[in-house]
Amino acid sequence: MGRRPALHRHDTDILIIGTGGAGMFAALHAQQSAPEGTRITIAVKGLIGKCGCTRMVQGGYNVALGPGDSVERHFMDTIEGGKWLPNQEMAWKLCEQAVVRVRELENEIGCFFDRNADGTLHHKAFAGQTADRTVHKGDLTGIEIINRLMEQVLARPVEKLQEHRAIGLVPTRDGTALAGVLFIDMRSGDFRFVRAKAVLMATGGGPTMYKYHTPSGDKTMDGLAMALRAGLPLRDMEMVQFHPTGLLAGPGTKMTGTVLEEGLRGAGGHLLNTRGERFMYQFDKRGERATRDVVSRGIYAAMRQSNAGEEGAVFISMSHLGPENVRQKFKGMVKRCADSGFDLAGDKVAVVPTAHYFMGGVVVDADTRTALEGLYVAGEDAGGAHGSNRLGGNGVANSTVYGGVAGDVMGGDIRNITALRDPDETVLEAEIERAIHPLGRKPSLIHPLQDRLQEAMWDHVGVMRTKIGMERGLAKIADVSQELMEGGVAPDNLAFNLTWHDWLNLRSLCDVSEVITRAGLARENSRGAHYREDFPEAGELDSSYFTIAQMRSDQIEVDREAVRFTIVRPGQTILPEGEPATLVEAAE
Amino acid sequence: MPDAAASLSVSVWRGGPEAGAFRSFDVPALKNQTVLDVVAWIQRNAEPTLSYRFACRVGMCGSCAMMVNGQPRWTCRTHVRKVAEDGRLEIAPLRNLPVIKDLAVDMDPFFDKWVKAEGVFHSSTDRAADIAPVRPSTPARVAADAGIECINCAVCYAACDSVAANPDYLGPAALNRAWTLLNDAKDSGRVAILDAVSRPGGCTSCHSQGSCERFCPNELSPLTSIAGLKREAAWRFLRKES
Repeated sequence: MGRRPALHRHDTDILIIGTGGAGMFAALHAQQSAPEGTRITIAVKGLIGKCGCTRMVQGGYNVALGPGDSVERHFMDTIEGGKWLPNQEMAWKLCEQAVVRVRELENEIGCFFDRNADGTLHHKAFAGQTADRTVHKGDLTGIEIINRLMEQVLARPVEKLQEHRAIGLVPTRDGTALAGVLFIDMRSGDFRFVRAKAVLMATGGGPTMYKYHTPSGDKTMDGLAMALRAGLPLRDMEMVQFHPTGLLAGPGTKMTGTVLEEGLRGAGGHLLNTRGERFMYQFDKRGERATRDVVSRGIYAAMRQSNAGEEGAVFISMSHLGPENVRQKFKGMVKRCADSGFDLAGDKVAVVPTAHYFMGGVVVDADTRTALEGLYVAGEDAGGAHGSNRLGGNGVANSTVYGGVAGDVMGGDIRNITALRDPDETVLEAEIERAIHPLGRKPSLIHPLQDRLQEAMWDHVGVMRTKIGMERGLAKIADVSQELMEGGVAPDNLAFNLTWHDWLNLRSLCDVSEVITRAGLARENSRGAHYREDFPEAGELDSSYFTIAQMRSDQIEVDREAVRFTIVRPGQTILPEGEPATLVEAAE
Repeated sequence: MPDAAASLSVSVWRGGPEAGAFRSFDVPALKNQTVLDVVAWIQRNAEPTLSYRFACRVGMCGSCAMMVNGQPRWTCRTHVRKVAEDGRLEIAPLRNLPVIKDLAVDMDPFFDKWVKAEGVFHSSTDRAADIAPVRPSTPARVAADAGIECINCAVCYAACDSVAANPDYLGPAALNRAWTLLNDAKDSGRVAILDAVSRPGGCTSCHSQGSCERFCPNELSPLTSIAGLKREAAWRFLRKES
């Protein structure tokens, strides 16, 4: 190969990886809680606030501030929605602190969420919840939250490392603590090793190893792949949430897989099969308004029954509501579809379930601490808060709540850490070797391999799963993985070299895909987002378990651990006696 | 093999901050294809070292704007059909910002000006306080809402001839943000904002040519926001004088 990229070394006190809701809240809170003079660095794979998924939040933010609502009710909905798998301490803190965080967003950060005519906050209904509790800014809530957070971070004396991609967590020689993080400075192609007393990993999940997916293009599970290599336990890794209605625009376009919003079905949109018939009532009495997992499975089943090919199988149709009305009510969606060549208001548009959110993640406690001293994890990289399924509106609540918690906790913890830790140079070198692996090999096309991985995950580890299918999936993942290791990237110009990063992206995706599949095999029942055709029952709620995957001597092992019902047991509630089961009037 | 009719002739800027040149590629035409898809095809199949930037794919992040046949556009939401002239596309980095490499620009100057225009919320309360009641029908809130959906993609900044002529000019997006804050009942930075936009390079550097409004993919009107700032700044000046 050509020149080996240089390695630069850099020190800071608090290092934050990611600039979504979690990363930016962590930076702001760390600044408030850490001793004066603390160096805070924020690093991101793209530009600050521009990459990542918080910005893409459409629906809104769940917070128990609406009339009659309570933290207890939000908590019960979160536990029921997660089918009793959530870590209850985490779910509780999520609901409790969401109230504080929304006030902070409005009063300190400068967000303005939609109001009722009398000036009070508007709360909209979201599927699977017993109160109207989702605050929002039209259907572009994430843009409002991230724009305002980004301004605050840009205006503060926080060190910014943009287009710095994290590739390895490097521990101390004795392995007891994290010393720092290895990055590629993408603009130059050089390596940068950053030591820090406390590191927050908030890179976001984003299941882009599926043929159809919604997350931002920069999302490739790098965080979880790094955590896996560092030997950290990962939980709920089989839990991939599919959004039922992704746009199906054919192969060769990045438009495919992007979300057609939930509200279309809520407003009365129809899902039609090849013959133009509505089919959702076969699956659920709520028809198109059933929850995301149910509708995704309904569409998937209709696609399997169709022989019209994926693009001709299932459509969303709005025109019976009056094209002009649709155009007015869903202005942004109609325009987005029109830009992509589709008429959402007047015509039917082909749709497909699309991988949307990853409930699994690193095992953390409710203070974002991990098994590795010095490493904290928040946002979609952390597992536990959502269990087997995430409620719409709980994603941005989770990232902003726990990002803030991480900032507070790190700011306090570093007071007791007197010195930076020295890295295990062998691990550092191994991580560099891993990253430059393709540079010595004959260049080859990476994208066809990515297509193969995404096909395999969609076909075998997707909306509906079986043992035989997932075993076939494992074999295909292994093939892609091996071919990737034989593939090369021309080493002559590594500055802003997206092809090198495509290789690294696919490396992360292969690693995490294997974990998802093995965890899927280990769960022999159907809970939330995970559906086994060969084990369709949910299993006993009282003996619920979650999966824990961990790398042990280069092998992924998956164990089960019993859920601890620390706040409420299945069949019970913490709502006061006499509280109605739901505050939402029946939609039908 | 794609025949001539089913392929696009694409000219792409390659180069660094100092020097560069257009290079041509034949790209297979597809029924559904955006300009971003074309750029990605070239990088994946023909020119592995081609640099560009994108993230969300759906017009929410504002990372992928480029000059397409001479006009600034979100490449993710621009269908090839809409812009190709006889199957030809010319793709260049966004105007008015320093090039890092090929199609990727350094957006820091754009964001530095955003902050310099006081485009950062000025808080007067904290998380312990209740959420302020604000009626959405008040004229100030209506004015703020009209400009708030900016995603800072810098398309207006690239379209602006005043920015091209005066590198100190804060530009349409930053001033639009300042205007939304000036109309935000919760913001306490009125004096700081008016100071910031009244300095040289502020709102009076706008020559009202309206390219910002014409090119904004979100159909916002920074021109109207800047006119509002000019009015407020003038009023304050007059009141000070009297």
